[in-house]
Amino acid sequence: MSEPDQPSWLSFRIRLIASLIAAAVLPLMVFGGVALVVTGTSNPIAPALARGLLLALAITAIGAVLLAGWLASDLTAPIRQITRAVDRVAAGDLGADELPDGLDLPGDDDLARLGERHQRLARDLARRNRELRGILDTLESATLNEPPEQLATRAADAARATFGMIDCTLVLGDPADVPADEAVPGEPIPVRAPLVAAGQVLGVAAGRLPATRRWERADQDLFELFALEVSAAIRNAQLYTRVEAQNRRLRELDQAKDDFLRGVSHNLQTPLASIRGYAQQLAAERPDRRLTIVTEQADRLSRMVRQLLTVSRIESGVLRPAQEVFAPAALVRRAWEGLGASDIPFTLDDRSAGWLAVGDPDQLDQVLWALLDNAVRYGGHTAITATITVRDAAALAITIRDSGPGVADADRERLFGRFTRGAGRPGDEGSGLGLYVARGLCRAMDGDLGLEPADGAPGAAPGAAFTIWLPAEEPGEA
Amino acid sequence: MVFGGPGPYGVAAPRILIVDDDVDLRVILAEQLTADGYEVQTARDGEEALRRLAVAWPDLLIIDMLMPRMDGLTLAREVKVRADLPIIVLSAIDTADSKADLLDEVAEDYVTKPYHYPELRARITRVLRRVGDRVPRQRLVLGPDLALELHRRTAIVAGVATALTPTESRLLYALAANLGQTVTTETLLARGWADTDDADPSYVWVTMRRLRRKVEVDPNKPAHLLTVRGIGYRLVAAGAASGPHIPSGHELLR
Repeated sequence: MSEPDQPSWLSFRIRLIASLIAAAVLPLMVFGGVALVVTGTSNPIAPALARGLLLALAITAIGAVLLAGWLASDLTAPIRQITRAVDRVAAGDLGADELPDGLDLPGDDDLARLGERHQRLARDLARRNRELRGILDTLESATLNEPPEQLATRAADAARATFGMIDCTLVLGDPADVPADEAVPGEPIPVRAPLVAAGQVLGVAAGRLPATRRWERADQDLFELFALEVSAAIRNAQLYTRVEAQNRRLRELDQAKDDFLRGVSHNLQTPLASIRGYAQQLAAERPDRRLTIVTEQADRLSRMVRQLLTVSRIESGVLRPAQEVFAPAALVRRAWEGLGASDIPFTLDDRSAGWLAVGDPDQLDQVLWALLDNAVRYGGHTAITATITVRDAAALAITIRDSGPGVADADRERLFGRFTRGAGRPGDEGSGLGLYVARGLCRAMDGDLGLEPADGAPGAAPGAAFTIWLPAEEPGEA
Repeated sequence: MVFGGPGPYGVAAPRILIVDDDVDLRVILAEQLTADGYEVQTARDGEEALRRLAVAWPDLLIIDMLMPRMDGLTLAREVKVRADLPIIVLSAIDTADSKADLLDEVAEDYVTKPYHYPELRARITRVLRRVGDRVPRQRLVLGPDLALELHRRTAIVAGVATALTPTESRLLYALAANLGQTVTTETLLARGWADTDDADPSYVWVTMRRLRRKVEVDPNKPAHLLTVRGIGYRLVAAGAASGPHIPSGHELLR
């Protein structure tokens, strides 16, 4: 085995020199030696002749060594040249179209052919590198929102330019639709590669090369790699297009739903406005309890319409409460009066000490109405109290409490769900949305709504107590 | 249709144009407003409203949002192109509706249907009164760290846009119209809460405190929104608080 760090040509050269000397000088020296021995025993002039022969042999030997050295060096020069070229290629220096320093080996011998092969190999490597660069450029410029067909056209153009094809097309669909051409000598060379992404055949890439072009296995591999990468980009673009179309459809549906709800609301609220207005006008001319009921019921209907709209907004996450400051006590009082349940005793205990709530008075009005309506409906005609307190130095708590049967333990959490009612409330005429909407509104105002724990006094009616929490600000000149 | 004549306002009764496709609502609202001394005209749609505007301008328009042929928003924009008339939108849509934002650009106020007449009347009064001290639809630059765009309900604080609530922008309207001068708490209360019966000075105090957190770079050392203890508040341009010359609102409008 040769030493790995010893250049092989060196030992080769030494061996070559030795061989040349051995082949050319040794027979001459043997002949000289024999001649010397033969003449030395029978000839009186032998000493002079022997000296002459020795001198001639010495000169010949030196000349032979020098000549062999020069010959060996000349013979190994192309090998050294090729070695340097291989080293450069190995280091990635492919030059442009020619090898640097001109690997020019004249003649038609084995070394010249070796040099020419090497040069071709380097040129092919350089060309495939350029093709790979072309592929990467094409893929880099592919964006998600480019239509798949446009991407396919662009990729076909890129393939034609990159691989030096006469023409190239990327057909999306069944590859069988594009019949494979036979390769005929002297005619353009047909090439094709399947477009496959995520195990799904998207189509085929097919093109023709000039008849003079060599198309090796490595070229086909590169073309197939190109087709594979383009397929992934096309697949992404197709998925993106599909998702975009779905998003657009969803936005349209959402818009249609908004328009529908807006229309429904308009068509219900406008006549209610007239009913309310006329009822109030008539009541002003001639007070009548029945007209008050008309007004209250119109209000009730209007609130229920709003409640339905609010459900839709809670679900779309588009509740945008105002951020006004206000004292909630007056709002509680008005909401109670609006219910028209004057036969039920009601107490408002305002311990807010002037603290103001921060939120949307209209939305709080909806919440209060839902809670008070609940208390009237399910409190069994017991007294209702509303208490306003300051808690945690930054929140106002409004608690609406009745003295009715209270809420069963099983119902406590599900009470705030959509379309749910407490058990044991047969014939309930509520929408089942009141508490769901109320909690959604409170949370949109950075507050909350919860059910207070039941009082544990044995034998006493537990009652139900709901507490609204709202952000609050202390009074005082600032 | 024209309702009423000289009411409690005398010969200069404010003229209101109601635009709504619902005939019953037009009639009842016109009767209610006429009884309160307004001179009322009605139009059943946007096109009729624009025809009426070509003859005479009212002092205020009440416009429905959803109408056939031309919706309220389009009509309001058309009106604003012709003249900067105050508009109140009376509609079934509420503040949480996505279209409510669009109204800010064209409408001075809006009231949801079914309306409570006393509330609507209070808002009409407030809008009509505010016409006198309306801040131009421009940017009011008060210093390097504060600019107000009140018609857009926006304050630009140290380069960052901050949304103002309707009440906050009403108070700033009142303060900006008297730039550098003290506006009493009572005046601010009337400007901000004309339609709220039970508002008291603490509403002004708390709103001012919150406003300061929004518009002042350091709310503890206010540079623009100053308290005149026991009297009210004043809005000043940066550096003008202690200077001898207090620039007027018109000087600062650029």
